[in-house]
Amino acid sequence: MTLERNVLLAFLAAAALLPALVTDQYLLHLGVMALFYAILATSLNLVVGYVGEFSLGHTAFLGAGAYTAALLSTQLGLPMWATIPLAGLISALFGFGIGAITLRLQGPYFVIVTLSFAEVLRIVANNWIAVTNGPMGLAGIDQFGITNKGTFFYIVLGLTAVALYLAFRFVHSNTGRAAVAVRENRYVAQSIGVDPFGTAMQAFVLGAFLAGLAGGFYAHYISFVGPEVFRFPFMVTMIIMVLLGGKGTLIGPIAGAVIVTLLEEYLREMQELRLTLFGLIVMAVVLFLPNGLMGFIAQRREQQGAKPAPRAATKERTV
Amino acid sequence: MSAPTGQSNGKSPLLRADTLCMNFGGIMAVKDFSFHIDAGETVGLIGPNGAGKTTCFNMLTGFYSPSNGRVLFKGEDITNRKPHAIARLGLVRSFQKTNVMKRLTVFENVLTGHYMAGRQSLLSTFFPGEKVRRAEREARESAAEIVETMGLSHRMNAPASLLSCGELRLLEVAVALAAKPSLLMLDEPAAGLNSHEATTFGAVLKTLVGRSIDALLIVEHNMELVMSVSDRIVVLNFGRKLAEGKPTDILENREVAEAYLGKAAA
Repeated sequence: MTLERNVLLAFLAAAALLPALVTDQYLLHLGVMALFYAILATSLNLVVGYVGEFSLGHTAFLGAGAYTAALLSTQLGLPMWATIPLAGLISALFGFGIGAITLRLQGPYFVIVTLSFAEVLRIVANNWIAVTNGPMGLAGIDQFGITNKGTFFYIVLGLTAVALYLAFRFVHSNTGRAAVAVRENRYVAQSIGVDPFGTAMQAFVLGAFLAGLAGGFYAHYISFVGPEVFRFPFMVTMIIMVLLGGKGTLIGPIAGAVIVTLLEEYLREMQELRLTLFGLIVMAVVLFLPNGLMGFIAQRREQQGAKPAPRAATKERTV
Repeated sequence: MSAPTGQSNGKSPLLRADTLCMNFGGIMAVKDFSFHIDAGETVGLIGPNGAGKTTCFNMLTGFYSPSNGRVLFKGEDITNRKPHAIARLGLVRSFQKTNVMKRLTVFENVLTGHYMAGRQSLLSTFFPGEKVRRAEREARESAAEIVETMGLSHRMNAPASLLSCGELRLLEVAVALAAKPSLLMLDEPAAGLNSHEATTFGAVLKTLVGRSIDALLIVEHNMELVMSVSDRIVVLNFGRKLAEGKPTDILENREVAEAYLGKAAA
């Protein structure tokens, strides 16, 4: 727990130094995207790692946040410090509504229904032209004259710090432990007084809130929001990050976000082949590192730390 | 029904079940089962395989809704309540197949068991005040204490997946105790233990009632164990109560012997 906290603090501190060392706008843009994805991966991890169900509809919350910020900014002229938190809150409301339906489902049913919600929102965004401007999207979202990527970098770093603080508090709280109990063993969780639905809802809404924050930032940073935010490529990227880094840990998704963002940029020359390569990476991770990089590291540490434990006792005896 | 055999000195019992029935698509798994547990008692529920013992457990703890009948706990009607709501009243159970959180350590398992003592609002999750911090400290101290009482101190930081069968059974009870139950119900807690482990386990169980918990209900096939810990035995056969009484009476009961061993043997 303290090790995890120190690693996260070190990460934030190192990131804070980046704009001082790097002035290249392109590299700073990569840094901004890496942190943006770090928030998204952290939020998806709350669902995958702490609700224990696989959501394919997390873009619903990214998109809800992005559209909220875009509309508040273009229609009402609200400043960024108001639109981004409101994006998070509206997204959390979406999370509450969608969670109230989907969290009653498990396994493949949960996957399919969450996916459908994201798809429904995309279709709404695509067709409700009066509000969302349809496929043309909302352009010209106010950037308040910020031209230096370094400033955006500090804004997204602040949001990352908020996201990590909230996620850290949640995961290491009594409620977070209850969520893990539900994930590990639903029956035992109930027998010690945990309400599986209520606990999952808290993790789900927190995940939606963080994804909404990221979406709100994205709207201002790119200065454009279209129905694509609900599309599958964002989802795929988030999943790869969480799986590669290690679900159910806080450091994992951050590491995954940084690695995948850089890799994606580096492989840009390969164009179409890029997605194929990502597919192969996912397969390799699932086959060889089922618990991601963090799981791999933990396993190595365990093997080096502990003397060879009696493995025979691990199998459950059926009586 | 005959008068209760337990000493229910005028007070209402801790747990009372009235004419519970469980119907699985036309098959009566349990029929008209009534019984009670008083504070201070250890009750053993026995019966051949398929007699309906686990079904009774599930009805008492809200995992099944009885087709008929009702359950009163501390005078409150808990029939059809959700399992977690029943647990919050102080009725905590274990499960027949070893059920712990395998990927967590022994300490983490028991700490998680303290969930109810530290329930908190969403706001206090993110901005923990002194009250939450104190609850967390107390939970950690209590968890270490329970691990020690159950004799698992040397395994404190081992993942549950590495424990032996006997240790797992102890851990299961430790997690249930962490929830600070009033009535603890254990479903075949000694299954898979060798006779030495079962004896040790029985000794631990005997220390619980009156100290950590108010009453204990135990389903068990190990006759030696269940007879030695129980004050009273209830026998189920084909979903009906066959007999009820002191362990010594049950051992001599002709019908019970028949149910277990067949007619000729009796």
